[in-house]
Amino acid sequence: MNWLSMIANRLLWFVPTLLGLLAIVFVLSRVVPVDPAHLAAGEQASSEQVQRVRARFGFDKPLPVQFINYLRDVATGDLGTSHYTQRPIVDDLASRLPATLELILTALLLAALLGIPLGVLCGLYRHSWLDHILRVISVSGLAVASFWLAMQLQLLFSMRLGWLPLAGRIEGFPPDMITGFLLLDALISGEGDLFASALRHLALPALTLALPAAASVVRFMRNGVISAIHSPSVAYQTAMGFPRWLIVWKYVLRLALSTTVTQLGLIFGFLLAGTVVVETVFDWPGLGGYAVRSILQSDYNAVMGFTLCTGALVLVINLCVDVLQIAIDPRGSA
Amino acid sequence: MTTRRAVLKGAVSSTILGLASWDVSAQSGARFVYANNSPYDNLDPHTVFDVSRAATRLNLYDGLYRWVDNPPKLVPWLAASHTVSEDGKVYSFKLRSEARFHDGKPVTSADVVYSIERIIALRKGPASHYLDVIKPGSTQAPDPATVVFNLVQPYAIFLATVPDMLIVNSALVKANEQDGDWGESWLARNDAGSGSYVLRRHDPAVGWIGRRFNDHFAGWTGQPIDEIEFRTVLDTSTRVLGLIRGEFHGADGYMPYDQIERLRRSPNVQVIEQEAMRVFGLALNNRKSLMNNVHFRRAIAHAFDYDGFIKNILKDSVSRNPGPNPNTIWGTPAGLRGYDYDLDKARAELAKVGEPLRVIGINALAGFSDSEQAAILLQNALRQIGVEAVVELSPWTVVLSRMSKPETRADIIPVWRSSFYIDPNNWVGELFGTRYHDSRSFSLYSNPEFDRRLDQALISRDHEERRKLYEEMTQMVMDDAASVFIYNTRWYGPYSRKVKDIRFSPVNHGQDMRWVSMSR
Amino acid sequence: MRELLGRFSRDRAALLGLCIIGPLVLAAIFAQILAPYPNDVIDFHLERRLLPPSADALLGTDRMGSDILSRLLFGARTTLMLAGVTVGLALLIGVPVGLVAGYYDNRMSEALMRIAEIFLAVPQIVLAIAIAQTLGPSIKNAILALTLTYWPFWARLVYAETRSMRNEVFVESAVALGASPWRVIVLHILPAIASPIIVRTSIGMGATILTAATLGFLGLGPPPTAPEWGRMIAESREHLPEAWWYALAPGVAIFLTVLGFNLVGDGLRDILDPRLRRGP
Repeated sequence: MNWLSMIANRLLWFVPTLLGLLAIVFVLSRVVPVDPAHLAAGEQASSEQVQRVRARFGFDKPLPVQFINYLRDVATGDLGTSHYTQRPIVDDLASRLPATLELILTALLLAALLGIPLGVLCGLYRHSWLDHILRVISVSGLAVASFWLAMQLQLLFSMRLGWLPLAGRIEGFPPDMITGFLLLDALISGEGDLFASALRHLALPALTLALPAAASVVRFMRNGVISAIHSPSVAYQTAMGFPRWLIVWKYVLRLALSTTVTQLGLIFGFLLAGTVVVETVFDWPGLGGYAVRSILQSDYNAVMGFTLCTGALVLVINLCVDVLQIAIDPRGSA
Repeated sequence: MTTRRAVLKGAVSSTILGLASWDVSAQSGARFVYANNSPYDNLDPHTVFDVSRAATRLNLYDGLYRWVDNPPKLVPWLAASHTVSEDGKVYSFKLRSEARFHDGKPVTSADVVYSIERIIALRKGPASHYLDVIKPGSTQAPDPATVVFNLVQPYAIFLATVPDMLIVNSALVKANEQDGDWGESWLARNDAGSGSYVLRRHDPAVGWIGRRFNDHFAGWTGQPIDEIEFRTVLDTSTRVLGLIRGEFHGADGYMPYDQIERLRRSPNVQVIEQEAMRVFGLALNNRKSLMNNVHFRRAIAHAFDYDGFIKNILKDSVSRNPGPNPNTIWGTPAGLRGYDYDLDKARAELAKVGEPLRVIGINALAGFSDSEQAAILLQNALRQIGVEAVVELSPWTVVLSRMSKPETRADIIPVWRSSFYIDPNNWVGELFGTRYHDSRSFSLYSNPEFDRRLDQALISRDHEERRKLYEEMTQMVMDDAASVFIYNTRWYGPYSRKVKDIRFSPVNHGQDMRWVSMSR
Repeated sequence: MRELLGRFSRDRAALLGLCIIGPLVLAAIFAQILAPYPNDVIDFHLERRLLPPSADALLGTDRMGSDILSRLLFGARTTLMLAGVTVGLALLIGVPVGLVAGYYDNRMSEALMRIAEIFLAVPQIVLAIAIAQTLGPSIKNAILALTLTYWPFWARLVYAETRSMRNEVFVESAVALGASPWRVIVLHILPAIASPIIVRTSIGMGATILTAATLGFLGLGPPPTAPEWGRMIAESREHLPEAWWYALAPGVAIFLTVLGFNLVGDGLRDILDPRLRRGP
């Protein structure tokens, strides 16, 4: 019952944390040198028209009142309208969230496929030449600027070799949304061409995003394997004369994986931050690119919406990871 | 009231209506994809009024008249002809009887009246053309085929701006009005036009698709395109690569010249070259301290390396344009001398300033390399004459929003002025007339002598008088260095080799797709 | 101490890191002397635009005809200064906040950590972009934006470390002997948790350089003509694939710099922080 109260306590803190976050972004949005009323009124609006817009959206009221009005709208599920896309923010976010999740989950899968085996090898053959090489590579993976890597991949695979598309998520209009995950939608509707096209578009951004994550997975797995090998239970199994491959498979791997899983929150945060840049370079229609564009365009309703959405996502993921951690190793809950 | 036949009538009958027929050759079915450099977030023809989103207005909507070809000609479109009263205040248009909206309803004078009332009420986009001269409720529809505009005063550029007055299906828009919003939120997403293509899909993040409107009054000839897609592709490299690979069949014609050279090497692409009417210059904010000093502005004008910029950075892909009006239009005095790059002259002017210097802000348009590079080139030269400048890059919407107030507008903005209608008033008039300070002023320049001439030029019906007035205004602006003018753009329209008969005009930017033939 | 240095010098990877950072710092300091064309930071040569690497310009020229190598060297100065000041300021805010919040068990410490949590709930880069955009592009504002979004990381780290120290015997005995809280915090706890702070400072330098370069790439770093690696890469985009050399040099420079700091951080971790050691 201890962990139930922990979850309740955490959930309770979600609201003030998100409120604080919104307040920060709200203040930022109101001190920008751009007049939000003018942006909303349109480029040729007369000053009288701008005044009317200002009154309509309440931009003429004191900041705290504006903030409370905003919160009241948020409580009813209304995040306002983007003056850039002219659509409700909720619609914008809903259509972009699946694109970002698809990218992140693919990158996570890639990172796991690359990072787990390599990390295990490093841990098992510690101090070997393989370990040294992989260690340098994994440190390197965290040192590359992802926008630069993205451009180099584009240069090689799209411009020079012509194998993969330069940017975007799909050619032209997306098919009708079922789940919003294009790969999944293509499978459900049985459209092979669509699946192939979506996969080709996904390849470079997912790879760019996965690289630093894979590097951290290698490091976590390596450390996990090393500490597992030295754990009493493995020592006991070895003493009992079980074959090495069985011990590695049944015990070492499990122990190492469970320590890596506890780092999932960290890796997820990594990936989410990565989407900001990767989506911008690859013109991926997800949340990260949306955030950058909205900030640069001073589209602050959109920035607020993005902040709320991402903040909630991060909090929920962190909570899930903590719960998972307790489930794996109840002793560590303190 | 004496009537006067529209001189333009002859031009249209042979080119369009003589061949009117739906009998299109059997090979049709072509699909055309155009990669555009900005998003189609709003399709409303009465609120959106910029070059980058011209395609929706040109292809989904019709006006009473239309600009075609280069040099641009005004041809009758939804209207067959017009007459003007002797005093120049009453314009009467006769509509074609065969024109239909996309829902099959005929285009009538009531639709024209609704459209102009809507433009004036919303006060966005093309409204600034009409706000001074057309009062709400003054436009009449004596019969379904006749519409009468009663102007407050004679208005020399009225006819030139008529193509910007796009006609919407009044019944359809009215049915979608919400709380007296003139259907603004509905029309941002939907089509209520009579244009050559019918909107099929729209997504602000992706673009839009239009299907050919078989019943369009002008009929169809050749191998017209059946489906057009205007897709938003923000990244220039992606547009270029798509053209080279044949995934796109057209793109904007104002790309950096390095990219044009690359496109020319591709066997899939043809690059069509035309002199455009898009003047690039440095908009100087005449209302700020120091910037309101004519000597300081002249010093800036002498501190820009025109030749270096045009020859080395732009590789002579544009032509030097010393004044505000494009070289290809009347209204510029013969032999107008622009400022030359001469730092000694700049220093001499600076010596006459007689007030303390300050740091100058240059706000360039992010993502437009001409604007960025002009900004840092100027910054570099200003430093050499002892003026410190800071360059800031902002997206166009932000620059625009800051331009609304003299205090927030940057000192210097390297920016283009495109053609919306073909008359010197589109440039020297709107950029420097006090009456345009609220809308499109380049410099917030104010000069009673200039304004007096502008007022006269707007009501004069004598072309020679107008020419003289605009030439004088141009000379004033030059003497005062109200802004700095650099070049007139050439249009390098990249299209697939499958496409022919692109009819470029400086107003349609090669995006009026109804003329185009395409092999499959 | 000697033993620690010895262990560090036997760590080849960490030495490699030092071998990268050392010359880099020297290059930043002596950019004026080392750069083949030191004036190219502000001067243009429009007739020499976009030339591939040659004997004249070892790394080619950029879109204004400036020597990329020269700009790269001055860019090192911008980068190191920006990251150094940011990390320093973030430490100055974050460490005291974390110490105080970790030592005490009251409302204020709770409130401080809640504020830190708020900043940590979205990726740092997003808030940094938003702040930088609001303030306008300049080196000062970039530092401000990065610092404001970076201190909570330190506060949380120091908070957790302080909490784990609070019940250690040496702290409890100091308290029992009547030492004032400030004395305990500064003289007993801070030295005990210095190791993880030092380790993460090195890694934090690398991370901050990456974030700062991202700001520059998005056009929110130092204003144009200031040599900044991220912006150089952004400028090059329009000239790909022809001008392949344009982005190559600044990209490699960022990579090597961050790699250097990460390797040193790794090496420091091994010798300073036994709990995080790569292996016994």
